[in-house]
Amino acid sequence: MLKYVFRRILQMIPVFLGVTLILFALRIPGLLPGDPVQLIVGERELTPALRAQIEEEHHLNESVPVQYGYYISGILQGDLGRSLQKNRTVTDILLDKFPNTARLAVSAILVEIIIGLMAGIISAVKQYSFWDVVVTLSTSILVSVPVFWLGMLLQMFFGIKIKQWTGGAFSLPMSGMGSPPDLVHLILPSITLASVSTAYVARIMRSQMLEAMGQDYIRTAMAKGLSQRVVVFKHALKNALIPVVTFIGIDLGALMGGAILTESVFSWPGVGREIYLAVMQRDWPVVMGGVVVVVLIVMFVNLLVDISYAVLDPRIRYGGTAE
Amino acid sequence: MSERFRKGLALVLALALAATMLAAGGCTTTTDEEPGEEPAVDEKVGGTFNFYISEPAFIDPINLQESEGTQVGQSVFDSLVTFDPLTSEVKPAAAESWESNDDATVWTFYLVQGAKFHNGREVTAQDFKYAWERICTPANKSEIAYHLGVVKGYDEMQAETATELEGVKVVDDNTLEVTLNYAFADFEYVVGHPALAPVPAEAVDADPAAFADMPIGNGPFKMAEPWAHDQYIKVAKFEDYYGEEPYIDGVEFKILSDQDAAFLEFQAGNVDFVPIPSGQIQATVDEYGESGDGYTINPGEQVSLGEELAVYYLLVNNEDETLKDPIVRNAISLAIDRQDICDKVFEGTRVPATGIVPPGIVGHKPDAFVSSKYDVEAAKATLAEAGYPDGAGFPAISLEYNSGSGHEDILQLVQEDLKAIGIESELVGSEWAQYLDKLGAKDYQIGRLGWIADYPIMDNFLYPLFKTGSTDNYAFYSNADVDAKLDEARMIVDDDERVAQYQEIEKIVGDASAVIPMFYYRHTRVASDRVNEGIYSPNGLFTFESVWLTK
Amino acid sequence: MSADRHHPDGGDLHTPQGPLDAGGHELQDQPPRTLVPAVPEVSAHPSRTLWGDAWMRLRKNKLAIAGLTWITFIIIVTVSADLWVPQNFAEPTSTEFASMQAPSADHPFGTDRIGRDVFSRVIYGARVSLAVGILAVSISLVIGLALGSLSGYYGGLLDAFVMRTADIFFAFPYTLFAIALLAVLGPSYRNVFIAIGILGWPSIARVLRSSILSVKENEYVDAARAMGASDLRIMLRHIMPNAIAPIIVYGTMSIGGAIITEAALSYLGMGVQPPTPSWGGMLSEAKALMIPAPWLTVWPGFAILTTVLSFVLMGDGLRDALDVKMKD
Repeated sequence: MLKYVFRRILQMIPVFLGVTLILFALRIPGLLPGDPVQLIVGERELTPALRAQIEEEHHLNESVPVQYGYYISGILQGDLGRSLQKNRTVTDILLDKFPNTARLAVSAILVEIIIGLMAGIISAVKQYSFWDVVVTLSTSILVSVPVFWLGMLLQMFFGIKIKQWTGGAFSLPMSGMGSPPDLVHLILPSITLASVSTAYVARIMRSQMLEAMGQDYIRTAMAKGLSQRVVVFKHALKNALIPVVTFIGIDLGALMGGAILTESVFSWPGVGREIYLAVMQRDWPVVMGGVVVVVLIVMFVNLLVDISYAVLDPRIRYGGTAE
Repeated sequence: MSERFRKGLALVLALALAATMLAAGGCTTTTDEEPGEEPAVDEKVGGTFNFYISEPAFIDPINLQESEGTQVGQSVFDSLVTFDPLTSEVKPAAAESWESNDDATVWTFYLVQGAKFHNGREVTAQDFKYAWERICTPANKSEIAYHLGVVKGYDEMQAETATELEGVKVVDDNTLEVTLNYAFADFEYVVGHPALAPVPAEAVDADPAAFADMPIGNGPFKMAEPWAHDQYIKVAKFEDYYGEEPYIDGVEFKILSDQDAAFLEFQAGNVDFVPIPSGQIQATVDEYGESGDGYTINPGEQVSLGEELAVYYLLVNNEDETLKDPIVRNAISLAIDRQDICDKVFEGTRVPATGIVPPGIVGHKPDAFVSSKYDVEAAKATLAEAGYPDGAGFPAISLEYNSGSGHEDILQLVQEDLKAIGIESELVGSEWAQYLDKLGAKDYQIGRLGWIADYPIMDNFLYPLFKTGSTDNYAFYSNADVDAKLDEARMIVDDDERVAQYQEIEKIVGDASAVIPMFYYRHTRVASDRVNEGIYSPNGLFTFESVWLTK
Repeated sequence: MSADRHHPDGGDLHTPQGPLDAGGHELQDQPPRTLVPAVPEVSAHPSRTLWGDAWMRLRKNKLAIAGLTWITFIIIVTVSADLWVPQNFAEPTSTEFASMQAPSADHPFGTDRIGRDVFSRVIYGARVSLAVGILAVSISLVIGLALGSLSGYYGGLLDAFVMRTADIFFAFPYTLFAIALLAVLGPSYRNVFIAIGILGWPSIARVLRSSILSVKENEYVDAARAMGASDLRIMLRHIMPNAIAPIIVYGTMSIGGAIITEAALSYLGMGVQPPTPSWGGMLSEAKALMIPAPWLTVWPGFAILTTVLSFVLMGDGLRDALDVKMKD
């Protein structure tokens, strides 16, 4: 077991280095539009003395490998540099945003679990019924809906229309604006964010349940006269849950890294939107620092998921191929 | 149904119900009370103004320059003087009076007695000196230090050969004397810049980072809690304010990075003042009513469409082989149908520019740029005069713009206009940083820029844009006569004479079409119907001192 | 719906984590990793009638046929648009109509904020969407097939290198990576499909590599090798025909995915630039106008939904028809 964990961590190192290398390459002068030194000084006049000073401060006068060395050691010390646009360090900015992203991710996962699992179970137990068709068809539709469009429609109906219809008595917040986003602010964004994954959870659940119910031992149990419900919830469900849990775990990892589209539609002050805005404003330290942190978070959550999966399901081989 | 499943279902239903109730409870915030017929003064008092901004860069005066930070900063800080929100005239603020010597090189400001910082300490002349020197210290990396460039000792501080501004003298606690390098009759306008407000040294020195997020000022509102980045900034009425007490209890600046989202929130009733997205200006005016003077807002007159102290212009590279000929530039200027652009792109809410100095600045003269009007025949004749009859032999030129801000619509229309007189052109969009690089490197033929007043005087539109070697002179216009006249103008103490001098300068650059004015900016903002007596000033700042809210 | 969609051995929704995930999963703020989890298995032996059988099965799948019909319809409409859309409507920058008009006989989908006809913009937007979808997937296929087959066939260090590179690609959050790439390349029509294409290869490579691994050990491959066939010949004649079915399924769904990605990038302002009409760009302009002009939000979104859904349904149908099984 420990060997497995160790091996997984070792596998992460080249991936991490590769990611940082790609990000670092973005800084090489000439690759990106604009003079990097001018970008750093903003609108201040750039005198030769100031240029020399900035190059010194940011190690821009060093050779490329040395610069990469500074960059990596900075990351390892939690120093991601300073934003060019805001008067803050990248670390501070990300620390501000991460709780909002985490809140959104967790509530999206809850939506997936509650709605996705129920839909999948109903669909499988009542195979070929009306509800089965509804679930299978709506999952196909859900994976084809652009999330930002879904978000816009939800804003239109639950943010504004419903307010007009009820004479101002009821509506849901349409953004993470203002005071710290609370539970109510989470409703529309988390439904939007969860939409696609909910469809997958339902599909996986359905197929796993069907497979489980086709197994010999379940058939035996049924033949012995146990009621369908007991069989479904005592036996089939237990076996069907493992792949669903894996999927949800991976999904959680990805969602923790920020959801650019959902966060954009709802102006949610999260990590994904922050990085997107930084790209638009050419705030490279925030982009590079943000992406590195996001990649690390995703890798870390995935590692936890893999480990817990390995603990839970003894069928997993600890060695074998990377897949 | 199994027992467990039933329990699960019950749980889900309970959760859903709870969420619905929370949603309902959390959102029924507005209650419709009958408004009184004529509100008494105490009925005006109270309420929090919900003001949309995007994330500011700074709210600490040290780098207060963009509109969002300035909006917050001016409610927390008072500079020596302020500007009347409607007429832009200089009014007393932290200084109750001031005077200058005869040649406008030495200025003396007398501070209001007993004015206090939000931490309770009295404001003294020393606090101004400290604040200004803080801005001028190169290590503090202020981008706005140049505003104090006329003050004696500025150059030494920038060169790091001095740590104090020699020209700023604390005569006593309430008297500040400023000596300038040369005469500058408009200096009283400069000290109205919101960045030149006093700061309490003890708070800054204790923790500069904390001060940046929760500055302590001397203005009508104090920070209620530290700046919650990308979420909100809350300010509350300062009880010990030396000036008139505002009606509202405070302002919550709601930070959204997306204007469209802000407009949605406005429609949902969650913010009181937002920009109107293009395409919806007319519909919004129809629904909410237009402000009578364009700036003052009352229920039923909620849309502000007043002129801003800002101008949109085309840059012409004065060093380009073809475009260095002023006759060619005049021809191009005559060819552009500015009214058509204003109608198509801005629903007629903007006005064609006939000069570089906008209306609303003392000394504005209509038709200052003679070629700044639409006349195709004259344009063709002028182009022929320059040696290109019907555009024959005129090389194709590039029209450059920074992409993503709607400029492509405007330049497309310019492209059509130029085609009409036989000039072929190509649109080239680039990102802002890259765009500025190109301009700075003279690597363009025609571009676009907007210029917004730092302070409402003619000098601010002419000196930076047309003085040889000025960093903002992206057209690379250079005329020794104009340079000399600009320096001269600053020393003219008599207001009328000075304005006449600036008008002469504007005429010289206008005759040569040094740049091509396009239109003056206009506000396009709407307030909610609970806003009374709000003023959105020509320089784009909302005045919280006079506004009151219908409860 | 139809019963044959659910015939017992059709495996209609049998394997949800399969290639279906390509149908737009990643673009939707979701984890790209789940894209390529499965090792596909191909039916054990190649059959001359495989394609014929597949077509027979596909024809019976009404949903897949509905998807195919819709895509064909859209292609015909958009390709022939120049022939029947009136000239003044067709000009994407034409602003001669009154702005923000509600749908009417003259303008079935209304007009937008600067007076352009939304119906013709949706029609012409289909060109952008379909072209980006097909070109992007073609790029992914070229790179993915080349690297995937080399990796699967030769194994060893090359395999390790290709797969680790794929891992690095998967480690990046998908949308972020696309945006960063476009920030470097500069947002434009061409760069959008290049970026989506580049980001798509690792999935293709993995799918192909897995199916090659499962075919490679078959006796007829050994036999061909013993008879002195060249690597290239073995690959083209014996391995590819058996390994290609999952790629067809995957590629079909990826087109739907690429269309959603393009829409998302254009929505974020990093994709196709105005005035070229694109569905995502139209939605981006509609953001603040949802209440006064809901038609600006409804129609482009509906166009994306139906087109992507068609590719997903077709992919589902092809998977069943080609009997591609995906499992953990």
